[in-house]
Amino acid sequence: MTAPAIRTRDLSRRFGHRWVLKNVSMEVEPGEAVLLVGGNGAGKTTLLRVMAGLLKPNRGSIECSGSVGMVAHHTMMYDALTAAENLAFFGRLHGLPSDGRVDRLIELLGLAEFARERIATFSRGMLQRLAIARSLMHEPDVMLFDEPLTGLDDAAARIVLGVIAELESRRAALVIATHQLVELVGVAARVGFMVQGRLAAIEPIAGRDAGGVVTRYRELAADGG
Amino acid sequence: MTRRERALRTARRGMIVTAIGLAGLAAAYLWGSIFAPIERTQGPAQKIFYVHVSAAWSTLLAFGLTGLLSLGYLILRDRKFDLLAAASAEVGVAFAMVMLTTGPLWGKPIWGTFWTWDARLTSTLFTFLLFVGYLVLRGALTDFDVRARFSAVLGVMALVLVPFIHVTVLWFRTLHPEPVVLNTEGAGLPWSMLSPLLAAVAACTTLYIGFVTQRYALAVLRDVREEEAAGGLS
Amino acid sequence: MAGSSVASVAFAVAAKDLRVEWRTKTAFISSMVFAVLVLAVLYFARDKTAVGDFSIAPGALWVTFTFAGMLGLNRAFLIERENRALDGLRLTPASPTGIFLGKIFGNLVFLGVVELVSLPLFILFYDVPIWRQLPVLLLVVALATVGYVAVGTLLSAMVVRTRFSEVMLPVLLLPFLVPPIVSAVQLTWRIMALRPLSELTGWLSLLASFDIIFFTLSLFLFEAILIE
Repeated sequence: MTAPAIRTRDLSRRFGHRWVLKNVSMEVEPGEAVLLVGGNGAGKTTLLRVMAGLLKPNRGSIECSGSVGMVAHHTMMYDALTAAENLAFFGRLHGLPSDGRVDRLIELLGLAEFARERIATFSRGMLQRLAIARSLMHEPDVMLFDEPLTGLDDAAARIVLGVIAELESRRAALVIATHQLVELVGVAARVGFMVQGRLAAIEPIAGRDAGGVVTRYRELAADGG
Repeated sequence: MTRRERALRTARRGMIVTAIGLAGLAAAYLWGSIFAPIERTQGPAQKIFYVHVSAAWSTLLAFGLTGLLSLGYLILRDRKFDLLAAASAEVGVAFAMVMLTTGPLWGKPIWGTFWTWDARLTSTLFTFLLFVGYLVLRGALTDFDVRARFSAVLGVMALVLVPFIHVTVLWFRTLHPEPVVLNTEGAGLPWSMLSPLLAAVAACTTLYIGFVTQRYALAVLRDVREEEAAGGLS
Repeated sequence: MAGSSVASVAFAVAAKDLRVEWRTKTAFISSMVFAVLVLAVLYFARDKTAVGDFSIAPGALWVTFTFAGMLGLNRAFLIERENRALDGLRLTPASPTGIFLGKIFGNLVFLGVVELVSLPLFILFYDVPIWRQLPVLLLVVALATVGYVAVGTLLSAMVVRTRFSEVMLPVLLLPFLVPPIVSAVQLTWRIMALRPLSELTGWLSLLASFDIIFFTLSLFLFEAILIE
């Protein structure tokens, strides 16, 4: 059996005196997609940031094998540069050869006609797609999504869902934090419920629809985590 | 014993040490002003040197320890080092202010001007500003982990900078020699003057320890209160 | 997974910073205007009868470089604040050392351009004939700038996370400028006065050792600032 792509053990993280993550233990296998569900301030974003390596755990441990890509609320790119320039820059930081993958990814994400425009002018949907392109540049083994569909129109959302499916088939491990269960419940195998910094439960979706998942969340939230 | 109780006990002990230091300092100054001989060339005004030199020693001790504790924090990441370093910096700034006021007060009756860009005083001025900057940086950072890390970085930089400042100012002054107001060299200092000076230095060291202990205890108490306000790891 | 060398990361980061600055130009223009203003004001502020041009010139030059430079130092890390671009950098295998070197190179180019444009203006305004000594003077300018930028870049990495970063940077940086700038001024007036090399060696060694020690120290300490 292959080792999990992500494994956290009793992972805890605080900001100042406030514990934002408390004893989170979970594993994500390659090729598996896990949804993270929880209210605002439940710790989803913080958990993703720890998985990405942007934050160190204060207690407990995390192992993440392979390279990590992340798509979050902030684009992590430079407004004054063009789409192509942003991607090329990140490619260089990863030590990637300039083999045309920048253009291919821009094409794939439907941004070809905006490639030479500065991203300051981009809409939210275009920025999200460009952020995904940037993450795909280095063919990550782990992809983390923080609210990937927020603010996207149908067309952009469909592109993102397509990318998620493609990543799954390529055996990348995915963790997707979201409120938008209707679109994403069909994409993932398991769902983790975060309540006040704790991982209250992590279980197979088992054919439940969005409503079923929400009901389960409310159950766990009522128990207080 | 809870953390708060331990901090209160530390504060009490600090107060006792401070009281001893103050008493010792008062005794040493009285000794120096009344019982030590009057210096031939400078007259009674020279006696301010007991205050000045002992404060200088405490300043050096305080800032040196801040630097070393900062290095300790970066290596060990133990918050106690950070709280101690900050306490030491505050106490150092206080002693530096004593130095920077007694220096000119000493200079005026002897040389006629308050500030002569004397090498040691000038170095102290820059070092004082450096550590005031350290405290300003701490004040500007709210997250205590970020504050501890960044202060430690600045503390280590400051530790390495102080000798550079000293050499720079010294070389600059040897090119533009002006009256050396603060002849604090021990060479040729008679025992009758050296002994009250040593007593003052010992008392100032005690005072430094007392102040830092109290300041550290206060920092811990403040931390305990903030921790209670935020709730713990349940 | 492909990694990338420290040098290529540094070069990529510096090139990106300079390209972003070139497209917005705000920091550069502010610095240049500031430099010209300071040079001019210091010239007018002197008492022409009491002081010859020569004796205030080195001080004026270095005050100009120092303060105009400070206007540009913060931009290196302020760029990374928008859109949380710094997180993007940290998600790559780029080492903190490479990122920091890139920031320093970017700042060095920025400050270098400001200095290269200010220097002829300085020669013009203050009417100081230094063409023969130009190579040595440029060496001194380069050495002092390296030390200044290394420390300034490290401090700005911290200061951009506070609310008053524009004010905090000078407050923290100025004590660090005493050794390099005093040395630079001492060297500058000796160079202008055509003093023998033996008079320069002391200050040059102070400047060089400051550079080596603080460049290295800043490189080591940057990681502590970057890693949360």
